[in-house]
Amino acid sequence: MIRPHLRPTALRRAALAVVLSLLSASPALAQRREGGTVTGRVTDRASGEALVAVQVVVEGTRLGQVTGDDGRYTIVGVPSGTRRITARRIGYVQETRTVTVADAGTVTADFALAHGAVALSEVVVTATGEQRTRELGNAVSTIDSSVFANAPIRNTQDLLTARATGVTVLQNSGQPGSGGTIRLRGVNSISQGNDPLIYVDGVRIYNGRTSTSVSGRQSVAPLNDIDPADIDRVEIVKGPAATTLYGTEASGGVIQIFTKHGTSGKPQWSAEVTEGVNNMGHVGPASDPTGLFFNECRGPDLVNGLGVKFEDPTCPASGSWLRNAAVQRYSLGVRGGSPDGFRYFVSSNYASEGAVLPTGGNTDGGVRANLGFSPARGLNVSVNSSLLKRTVTWYPDGNSANGALLNISRGPGSNFKGAGCSDPTLVCVLNDSLFALNSFTTTNHFVTGGVVTYTPIEQLTNRLAVGYDYNDADISSIVPFGYLRVPTGTYYQTLWNRTLITVDAASSLKHPFGANFLSTTSVGGQLFDSRLRSTDLEADNFSGPGEPTLISGSLRTINDVSQQRVINAGFFAQQEVGWRDRLFVIAGLRVDGNSAFGKSFGLQAYPKVSASYVISDEDFFPKHYVETLKLRGALGESGKAPGAFDAVRTYDPVAAENGQSAFTPSQIGNPNLGPERTRETELGFDLTALESRLSVGYTYYHQHTIDALIPVSQPPSLGFSNPQLTNVGELFSSGNELSVALDVLRRDNVGLTARTQFSTFNSKAGNLGGQTITIAALSRSYVREGLPVPAYIGKRVTNPNDYADPIYEDDAFLGATFPTRIISPSLSLTLFRSVTIDALGEFQRGGHLLNAMAYQNAFLNSWQPCYAAQNAMRQAAAGDASALAGFTALQRARCTLSGTERDYSLWVESSDFFKLRQLSLTYDVPARFLRGAHSASLTFAGRNLYTSTKYSGTDPEVADQRDNSFSRRDYYVFPTYRSFTASLRLGF
Amino acid sequence: MTSRFTPRWYAGATLLGALLLGACDFTVTNPGPVQDSQLNTPSAMPALVNGMSGDLSFALGNYIDRGALFAGELTHSGNFAAEGHFYRGTVTSDDVIGDWGRMQTARFSAEDGLRRMQQVLGSGFETSPLTARAYLYGGFANRFLGENVCTGVIDGGPAQSDSVYFVRAESLFTRAYTIATALKVDSLAKAALAGRATVRAWQGNWTGAAADAAQVPTAFAYNAIFSTNTPRENNDLAVQTISRRETTVWDTPWDSTRSDPRTPWDTVKTTAGKVQTGQDGKTPFFRQKKYTSLGSLVPLAKGTEMLLLRAEERLRANDLPTAVTLINQERAFYKLPAVAPTTVDAAYTQLEAERGAVLWLEGRRLWDLRRWFVEGKNDFLANRDKCVPISSTELGSNPNLN
Repeated sequence: MIRPHLRPTALRRAALAVVLSLLSASPALAQRREGGTVTGRVTDRASGEALVAVQVVVEGTRLGQVTGDDGRYTIVGVPSGTRRITARRIGYVQETRTVTVADAGTVTADFALAHGAVALSEVVVTATGEQRTRELGNAVSTIDSSVFANAPIRNTQDLLTARATGVTVLQNSGQPGSGGTIRLRGVNSISQGNDPLIYVDGVRIYNGRTSTSVSGRQSVAPLNDIDPADIDRVEIVKGPAATTLYGTEASGGVIQIFTKHGTSGKPQWSAEVTEGVNNMGHVGPASDPTGLFFNECRGPDLVNGLGVKFEDPTCPASGSWLRNAAVQRYSLGVRGGSPDGFRYFVSSNYASEGAVLPTGGNTDGGVRANLGFSPARGLNVSVNSSLLKRTVTWYPDGNSANGALLNISRGPGSNFKGAGCSDPTLVCVLNDSLFALNSFTTTNHFVTGGVVTYTPIEQLTNRLAVGYDYNDADISSIVPFGYLRVPTGTYYQTLWNRTLITVDAASSLKHPFGANFLSTTSVGGQLFDSRLRSTDLEADNFSGPGEPTLISGSLRTINDVSQQRVINAGFFAQQEVGWRDRLFVIAGLRVDGNSAFGKSFGLQAYPKVSASYVISDEDFFPKHYVETLKLRGALGESGKAPGAFDAVRTYDPVAAENGQSAFTPSQIGNPNLGPERTRETELGFDLTALESRLSVGYTYYHQHTIDALIPVSQPPSLGFSNPQLTNVGELFSSGNELSVALDVLRRDNVGLTARTQFSTFNSKAGNLGGQTITIAALSRSYVREGLPVPAYIGKRVTNPNDYADPIYEDDAFLGATFPTRIISPSLSLTLFRSVTIDALGEFQRGGHLLNAMAYQNAFLNSWQPCYAAQNAMRQAAAGDASALAGFTALQRARCTLSGTERDYSLWVESSDFFKLRQLSLTYDVPARFLRGAHSASLTFAGRNLYTSTKYSGTDPEVADQRDNSFSRRDYYVFPTYRSFTASLRLGF
Repeated sequence: MTSRFTPRWYAGATLLGALLLGACDFTVTNPGPVQDSQLNTPSAMPALVNGMSGDLSFALGNYIDRGALFAGELTHSGNFAAEGHFYRGTVTSDDVIGDWGRMQTARFSAEDGLRRMQQVLGSGFETSPLTARAYLYGGFANRFLGENVCTGVIDGGPAQSDSVYFVRAESLFTRAYTIATALKVDSLAKAALAGRATVRAWQGNWTGAAADAAQVPTAFAYNAIFSTNTPRENNDLAVQTISRRETTVWDTPWDSTRSDPRTPWDTVKTTAGKVQTGQDGKTPFFRQKKYTSLGSLVPLAKGTEMLLLRAEERLRANDLPTAVTLINQERAFYKLPAVAPTTVDAAYTQLEAERGAVLWLEGRRLWDLRRWFVEGKNDFLANRDKCVPISSTELGSNPNLN
């Protein structure tokens, strides 16, 4: 056994020392609160309605509040004298009022904010603490709750979809509760994952997914455990140039989620009730009238390409396997606070939605408590905790012999054949039997963290965050006794537990020098302790019916056990120099140690430098059309560490000789292993024009990953068949990100805002030592020099549109896996200040997907688009060569009857699509109709309402997550569905 | 403005941070995988040798399904692409990535394990029953490779003749025999003799082969161990024909009779009374019944094969009567009626059928077809690939092959 670790005593001492140093430096703790109160209300200048979640701060202090649902705020303890009060919110132009505060007095400062999509005074949270966007040399995308408040989103993943540049979200599956794939600026690592880091209220949470269900072939993403109703805003930091100070593992970007917090004042309640239905339209190719035998499972159309008819007596009475499934979402929250600075936001939520098949669905419920208080001047403490319990019921799907799509779409070739059909001459299938499989994932996700901010003097800010992220999951698939395919039953269970401890401290000191310069010096450090406990269990051969447990089987197996602990710690220093509050230059250095690096590896240093120039502040800048313009550039590095013990030669303990202990070669080892390093350069600008009605943000980035960690195949004759992680490669990634928002119309009774996010992603493998890296051979997924990462490579028809026999080219590049262009247009139309129509669409272009279902079903004579071609081939084989005249070379290749000609490669298709992701109509009930409430709205919404694609499978976004999560293969994965919901939201 | 937090203060804070970081031990916890050096202890030797057995069974159990398709012992009735290639005799380097790796791991596991055992056990190496077993596994692992692959590749080295495996196997079997005999472990000694007999024959030493074979009783069998204990210990051919219907006896030389106890099979009927089709939905599924459990053992050496080896040696010497006698001794063991071929050619045809039945689904048929094809005695492999190629993984990663 390989042993530890970070000495816990050392850890405790370190944490204690930091806390004590903070406390000892705060004599203000003992001071009594004094000063005056500033209160007021913030409204939308155009509509006059109250604005929630506006940050109102006392300039030059750390004092501030966030407006509640009624737009009101109250700040207590404001030092007496003349004070500048500033109100700012994403999407609005910041405003400042000057007030005179007297001790024990109250002064009012109301604001009416105007729209303005790019506000350089916005504050975002960086590794060093809060920072104004005007100072940043890199792009940060912010998604504010106002943007998605009315949208039919189920989870965080939906929230991120099509709302920010550089963000790719792929849904993966139509299983409710399944996690999608999220990429920021594409792919820059082959082996170490490309999932962005995720922070919730300053506490890092696990950014991966649970183990994948054996039968459902999908997994749950803890990211989705944050209830969207609790989210105030999301900040997306996309590349290493911006994430350097976050340290090792941050090269995939960082997503920061900030939940709602309390505001001083009386309790303000918010409630939401959503009811709706999930629905599936036509499944599969439009030319197939049966919808792969899902839309129709009864009737004369139940016949395959060979004319083999079949019957399914278990087909539901509706004649379709599809059903309308209920959607329910409820949330209730309250926020408020006392005049002495205590603030609270407490909420609870419950959501349930069914799948569109006879089984499947997701149920989750959780609570959140965000508490904050200011025990002394300059000292703020917030403690944020959440707990969410989830149960996902999976229908069998994907590359599983019990899979719904695999069996039902094969018609008479279903694995579930039996008796009971009315016509004994027909093949009798009993597909309802497959749904008897009980597959589920239950999760508990608890996040708690405390953030202490201490500002003893105006120029000095200290922040300490300590957090704990706890995930556990029971991932079970129970094949019951008497199951048609496996009569004696099987029980698979994975018990999975992941914890992550965060300790994050940073201090910043502002120091003016000269007449025009401001220095900001920041230092800090983080420590992350990540632990995994996972056990895969299996029991086979139940002795009889009844609800089984693992001991019900006569054969019991422990298939795998993982127990890992990895510690990542580092510190940073950053120096910022600002000139006349318009030119900012930042240089920083991050130094990391990671326990997976190996003892001889030492610390890793990642530098960064950035510059921002608000050129529109210059006198010479013409402001006739463009009011603000910021030019920016950044250069930075980040890295990813190899996994625990990737460097060591190991043997796996196994059983042999009928259950006796044994060893088998596992990993050949590589003592020179180190982290891979990604360097990114980004350049861009942000501008507002046309009286702040137009805002544009543009970024070009270029990433270069060196020492890329690649699992290099070793000669199997050396005895170790597993690939060894090696620093051998280089990858390139570049792209453009353009964000445009335009207030098309601003009238009293009509407002129209149009937004477009346009992103390009170009990845390319650089020097790989001449070798082609196999990601998944059966997915035809490889990494090869000069091609996108990963690329589909294989057999290609060079004359696809000719009416001739196919001509093949072997080892050909077939296309990029991930999309290379994403365009996300959205419109928001407001009528009569009370009706709002929001529409959000998304084009994804340039990606490809292997339609393995078509590959298999074509050969099984169950792929309707091939029926005509295959009949013609049979006629041709019988002597009528002319029968093939009307079929192209590509049709002949894909639909071939020849076992030697068929190839997965031929079914690599473009996955281009347009989807109308969300469409909603919201009616804000006028105040005169409200009794006892200060706001109410009713929303009718639809999700995934329309899809346009030439992909011949069921959905260009899906992929089996148990095959391989880096490559993508549509192996009988059931598609995503659409939803219709009605929501009532109340504030009181 | 003045501040208490001077650059000196920050330098101190940075130093403190560095000290705190330095106080941490960043070693990771990952129990489970065993480091190479941790095996260098006598107490690890039994598990090490069990691992050799396990790796050999793992390689064999996964291959016999595809090997049977390659050699025409079974017909493909499933959807797996590689299996289709084996069945059609068009095996590519992509198709054998797994098999090549497992075969090589089985060989390395035994040979490298023997080196480790010699180092760890010292003088006790020669007197340990574990040593005899390890040599035996090494011999069978090399024979397995020699009988099935086209090219010899050892430990990342250059390409060699496939016969290199038989040379190594004979040496390993001899060492196994010597040690087992000294230790009086008869089953291991007999297995070593049976193994050595085969590889001697395959190298043309038929006299030596017959001499070894003659010392093995007809009823003797030495098996690769399979078990229902864990999936890795399963007999995968049983998985593919019990849990699934990927291969069928239909349309093979053995589908004409159901009375031969050496090649048992049955059919599964649908509720409509039709013969169940394979996983491909069209090929009749005749289920092999030689392996009826996921834990069914696969013979590595059998006395009945020794009779046939001796018979073949006699036929090569044109000694028809003795050859027929030996063939009928084998048939009698299975309670089958005697045969009476009257010419050497007819007897050789009978011998081919006997070897096909006795060694059915044991991963041995391909070698017989290969050598008989070269000798012009059997043309099954005409216009088909003759052996398992070097895997694309080995080709892509072994610089000595370019």
